[in-house]
Amino acid sequence: MSSASMSYRKPAALMVLATVMLAAVPNLAVAQMSHQHASEAACEETVLRCATKVTPAFGPDGTLWLTWMAGGQISVASSKDQGKSFSAPVQVTRDRLNLDWGPDARPKLAIDAKGEIAIAFSTFRDQAFNGQVLTTRSTDGGRSFDPPKPITVNNESQRFEVIGFDPAGTVFAAWLDKRNRVPAQQRGEKYDGAGLFFASSKDGGATYSDAQLAADNTCECCRLALAFDGAGHPVVVFRNIFEGGVRDHAIVTFSGLATPGDLHRVSRDDGQIAACPHHGPSLTISPEGTYHVTWYTNGKARKGLFYARSRDGGKTFSDPLAVGQPNRSPSRPQIAAGPQGLVMVWKEFDGQKTSINLMTSHDDGATWSKPSVIADTADSSDHPLLVSDRRQTYLSWMTKADGYHLQAIEGEP
Amino acid sequence: MKRHLLAVLILLATLPSALAAGEGAPRPFERGSWQKLLHAHAGHPTLVHFWGVTCGPCKVELPQLGQFMKDHPGIDVVTISADLVPNLPDATRSMLDRAGLGSAENWIFDDGFAERLRFEIDPAWQGDIPRTMLIARDGTITTIEGSAEIADLNKWSDAQAATIR
Repeated sequence: MSSASMSYRKPAALMVLATVMLAAVPNLAVAQMSHQHASEAACEETVLRCATKVTPAFGPDGTLWLTWMAGGQISVASSKDQGKSFSAPVQVTRDRLNLDWGPDARPKLAIDAKGEIAIAFSTFRDQAFNGQVLTTRSTDGGRSFDPPKPITVNNESQRFEVIGFDPAGTVFAAWLDKRNRVPAQQRGEKYDGAGLFFASSKDGGATYSDAQLAADNTCECCRLALAFDGAGHPVVVFRNIFEGGVRDHAIVTFSGLATPGDLHRVSRDDGQIAACPHHGPSLTISPEGTYHVTWYTNGKARKGLFYARSRDGGKTFSDPLAVGQPNRSPSRPQIAAGPQGLVMVWKEFDGQKTSINLMTSHDDGATWSKPSVIADTADSSDHPLLVSDRRQTYLSWMTKADGYHLQAIEGEP
Repeated sequence: MKRHLLAVLILLATLPSALAAGEGAPRPFERGSWQKLLHAHAGHPTLVHFWGVTCGPCKVELPQLGQFMKDHPGIDVVTISADLVPNLPDATRSMLDRAGLGSAENWIFDDGFAERLRFEIDPAWQGDIPRTMLIARDGTITTIEGSAEIADLNKWSDAQAATIR
């Protein structure tokens, strides 16, 4: 359909038609050609190279496990050489599902002390983007996975699950759930946000306990952060909706797997904006027992990325420390307490390239190194994630242009 | 000649679908689109609304904007779907139609590297939606983060009307 095929003498009516076509062709061509360009994925197959979201975890034997989303499927593979080569991928999902592609969604994996693997992920179950959290597990070292099952029997929207094994080998799961919206509306009440629900599994993720509510009316469009404290109790950080519609971060420390503690505020950012930031927090707990949180806010009191720590189990937090250069759209902060101290990474964008910036702390977050750029890419990329084995912490980063990237973070002298 | 005839037949066969794809479908918003948009509306009071099909607050606000457009024919109303994965033109279009915004100037992010689209619009914008930018006749931009209050939009619109006189 090149324009050359139309450059010949024809009656006027056909010339008019040709003119109309020429006008229509650019739009059509753009619509057809833009598909690949507009995608966050490098390719459409289920292989790692095509993944948009990749989540890492180390097994007890030092094997690196990845789960990823590509070609409409969730897959798993492992590496025994720090990401240089991978085992043949195992597909966790059978049918092609409408996986939750939201900016803060990703498949999760957790590995217990015996090397058993639990997986959780979300799908969009209808055209209105109502979500469903599905879980599965492997009891043969990742060679096969049970068919994925809903984490709860309830059919209202669920998204943004997190999972982790506690020290006793129980899977703890938390997610955002809209089930309380319908009864509230039936009572004629306005319902904001979603409930933070949780459940646990004593069989490695095969079956979960009944869902329970930890906090209602939390922000419905941001991921959660989960860590376990020194006693093995789950700690969850999330964007809450405080009085007056203020979407600031809150933290809950559980006193048992079924007992959420009091809700405390991480920071007073005054994020009084009815909007979806699609930008959740990160939490790690250091061997000293200190909680370390990073987050994004667009509040009235402060805007951008911030870090704060709590040395009293999340009751009070230090003054927020600004992270990143405000004119470089700093985003996606991640924090991890590893064998060599605290590591924080985040993205910046200079108009052309996305860079991963690093800061480290060797005094439990009291002081931080100057930021340094440790990686960059010139096309779209997943969030920078941190994963630690017994010896060190690694940056785990999926990029469209340069593929999957696992990079040891060198300890500072 | 035979080849020419074949070409014309192909054109005739594809024409209706080509026109259908162009009409009413959100336009692809790419690198450079923001400057073109600003240029095209220069001198006209323009409301640019950023939203997305999965954004809860957007679902409430969109029909209000549809009504605003009806009530303010003097304001250019532009919507830009800024969800990070712009592969849902059908859902986008059907939500716009239901909100009464089918006839607005509608765009959809069309770059897997959404950061660079946002950077051209406002380097400080992290992608929070909804977001509304009010562009006055003189080019002054007022940004409303989160859901806009229709009363504020009306006030702005009245002020724009006043500047004509």
